[in-house]
Amino acid sequence: MSTAVAMKPAQRLTGFMPLIALAALVAALTIADPDFLTQRSLIAVARTAAPLIVLAAGATLVVLCGGIDLSIAALASLSTVFLALWLPNLGGLATPAVIAVAAAIGAVQGVAHVLLRIPSFIVTLGGMAILSAVALVVSGAGTVRVVDDSPVHWLDLYLGGYVPMSAATALIVVAVIAVVLRVTPLRSWISATGYSESAARLAGTPVDLVKIGAFCVSGACAGLAAVMLVSRQFSGGPTMADNLLLPAVAAIVVGGTAITGGHGSVWRSLAGALVVTLLRVGLPIVGVPSAYEQILYGAIIVVAVALTLDRSKVSIVK
Amino acid sequence: MNALEVRGLVKHYPGVTALDGVDLAVRPNEVLGLAGENGAGKSTLLKALVGLVTPDAGTIHVRGEQVKLRSVVDAANHGIGMVFQEQSLVPNLTAAENIVLGSEGPAVRRGIYRWDVMRRLAQEQLDKIGSPIDPLARTDSLSFADRQMVEIAKVLRIEERSQHPPVVILDEPTSVLESKEIETLFAQIRRLREFATVIFVSHRLDEVLDVCDRVCVLRGGKSVGEVAAAGAVPRELHRMMIGSTGSDDHYHGSAATTVVEEQPRLSVRGLSGASFHDISFDVAPGEIVGIVGVHGSGREDVCRALFGAEPTTAGEIRMDGTRIDLPSTRAACAAGIGYVPAERKTEGMVGALSVAENMTLAKQQARCAGPFVAPKKQATLVDSWIRRLSIRTPGRDTPIQRLSGGNQQKVILARWLVAGDIRLLLLDHPTRGLDVGVRSEVYRLMRELAATGVATVLLGDSLEEAVGMADRILVMNDGRVATEVPCPTGAKPTPLDLVKEMV
Ligand SMILES: Nc1ncnc2c1ncn2[C@@H]1O[C@H](COP(=O)(O)OP(=O)(O)OP(=O)(O)O)[C@@H](O)[C@H]1O
Ligand SMILES: [Mg+2]
Repeated sequence: MSTAVAMKPAQRLTGFMPLIALAALVAALTIADPDFLTQRSLIAVARTAAPLIVLAAGATLVVLCGGIDLSIAALASLSTVFLALWLPNLGGLATPAVIAVAAAIGAVQGVAHVLLRIPSFIVTLGGMAILSAVALVVSGAGTVRVVDDSPVHWLDLYLGGYVPMSAATALIVVAVIAVVLRVTPLRSWISATGYSESAARLAGTPVDLVKIGAFCVSGACAGLAAVMLVSRQFSGGPTMADNLLLPAVAAIVVGGTAITGGHGSVWRSLAGALVVTLLRVGLPIVGVPSAYEQILYGAIIVVAVALTLDRSKVSIVK
Repeated sequence: MNALEVRGLVKHYPGVTALDGVDLAVRPNEVLGLAGENGAGKSTLLKALVGLVTPDAGTIHVRGEQVKLRSVVDAANHGIGMVFQEQSLVPNLTAAENIVLGSEGPAVRRGIYRWDVMRRLAQEQLDKIGSPIDPLARTDSLSFADRQMVEIAKVLRIEERSQHPPVVILDEPTSVLESKEIETLFAQIRRLREFATVIFVSHRLDEVLDVCDRVCVLRGGKSVGEVAAAGAVPRELHRMMIGSTGSDDHYHGSAATTVVEEQPRLSVRGLSGASFHDISFDVAPGEIVGIVGVHGSGREDVCRALFGAEPTTAGEIRMDGTRIDLPSTRAACAAGIGYVPAERKTEGMVGALSVAENMTLAKQQARCAGPFVAPKKQATLVDSWIRRLSIRTPGRDTPIQRLSGGNQQKVILARWLVAGDIRLLLLDHPTRGLDVGVRSEVYRLMRELAATGVATVLLGDSLEEAVGMADRILVMNDGRVATEVPCPTGAKPTPLDLVKEMV
């Protein structure tokens, strides 16, 4: 029994690894440039991180089920276009409408994946291409300006004067997903599906519904991320969110969620999204030359994954 | 000099001591049996011998010389090899490729396969065991038993590496084989003895005594003794394994319920699917119906079809008189049907999830209050089943993959019982890989469930098991029900009677 007691702290430590990696990164950036830890740059990080956190949180569910959603960024771009187009007519209703449409598009991809038995990688790769093209057509291949952004302006305010509303909203999204998973059987269902789909199915788990649900939430999150982007940029664009795809995937894996499914959490992805954003925003601030920035970025991501992935939970690392 | 010797081997895992100072000596050219309960440490010991497990203490000596085995390659260089279950072959490669895989040697020159050399190398290995398998046959076109022969041939490659008689380790090779295939395997093992040393593990004690020269018994990670196989009886071995005398009535026949004629619990009429045709039978409440048949008889698929896991093309299924549709496993669960699959590791359990989560996976309502998981309710429920089935686990939150095979199986069985709403239980090889004691406990549990009116369909691990447990037996042959044999306590047919119908 003594070994059991000795193992416990080490196991608990791997659970906190994403936070430790985050703290280490903040410390490193502060040492590199003591001015980094100012209110201004922290607010900048929080605001930049918000859409990424939301995107990563939604896609994490799909990854936990053992799939991947490559369409999130393209779907978010399309959603910015929809929002910009609909705001003049729908006003305050435009936001829920966009999120609902994005959720529906996500669900359709989920249904295609489940019913036609096509790998999620392929379905969402196709989805990404189609959604990008639709965005181009709908927007007339150009930026759609938002003249009156009052319905989404709330996201650009500051809670208590310091905390960006968008970041607070992102936190709430993560918390809601995490709490729902924690207090319902969904967590068991999702991780059983991700670890071993056939075992989950033979235990009567609603595997198909769980997967479609995950894609649906992932789509809704892409819609919400789009609202955040529009509120910041006063416009929608057919490629506006496209460059968020790889950072979102990086955020998920840096958080330590296993890309093979089953093991992980949205909290981990929150920490991962902050690490990725800190690197993006922080490296230029502390004066790393842009040529080295990419090298450092890549290296730190790999090191972070090496630290955060709990290999005792993941038997095969692909 | 001993071919292999182990002294004081210790291996700790979090919460368990798998090996607690094992001593073992293996003489050259003998077939050594290893017996012990589930979790006694047999697999851990064997894995230590092929470098898959690093012991915490103790030494391993090969032909008198102390060695440190860090990997499978290390062990192979010392002439020790393990035959894994058939999954370790790459299915879309030829037998020859699989045999030389990882030790290609002269079969590859400048990175390019030399097929003639490879074929010859593979043929040499196959010749050693006198197997007629075509080395150029694709592995997935071979039968179960043939694939195992390929595994053995693959392991025999180590002979060329170490220039010594090889030690071949077989961990539960018979658990997935049919009785005929087992005969072939045993013939091979006897042949191997001419030039190699064999270590053999099985939970079927009669088998162990049949094929081995000597049997060592492990209990709780310690060696507790050995017997010469000649003249020994399974009972004696079992007594050493558990340290006390086991019960006589293995199948708990005295607890068999008398089935009263009433409306059948399950009624199947004209059920057809890809591999079975026009299947009709009834199962009464409290009745245990065994289905026997060889590989390819379609009995596994019938079982899966009854659980909604295999599509059907015609026929109807009634539960307590009401016609039901089974488009999905979920529908079957809701109808009060439970299924224990044969492949426990890949289909039965979710290894990384805890005992509690695995136990409640199918019947979430049993641990929930409304839509929410109630941690207290779950703890009480799971703990009570852990006690009731005496599941040996460090705790309810331990990942199920850390448990020994028998305890894993008890958790999977409990999964269907926690809600108390089960009406029909489909058991596909429920005792595969379980030791005698646990098997007996599973039988007792089946009897208890039958007494409460649960209907059971049993695909037995052996004919003896089917005969011992069932009230009635269906013999399946080529996708059809060939005949139905009543099987009441006191008037059991012999397995031989059934074999005649099976082929
Ligand atoms: N990787 C592991 N992590 C934690 N515990 C383990 C691990 N492997 C084995 N154990 C534990 O070590 C003990 C011995 O296991 P082992 O697999 O050697 O038993 P066995 O004799 O082969 O049993 P079986 O007959 O069921 O195959 C068991 O209690 C098991 O739970
Ligand atoms: Mg074992």
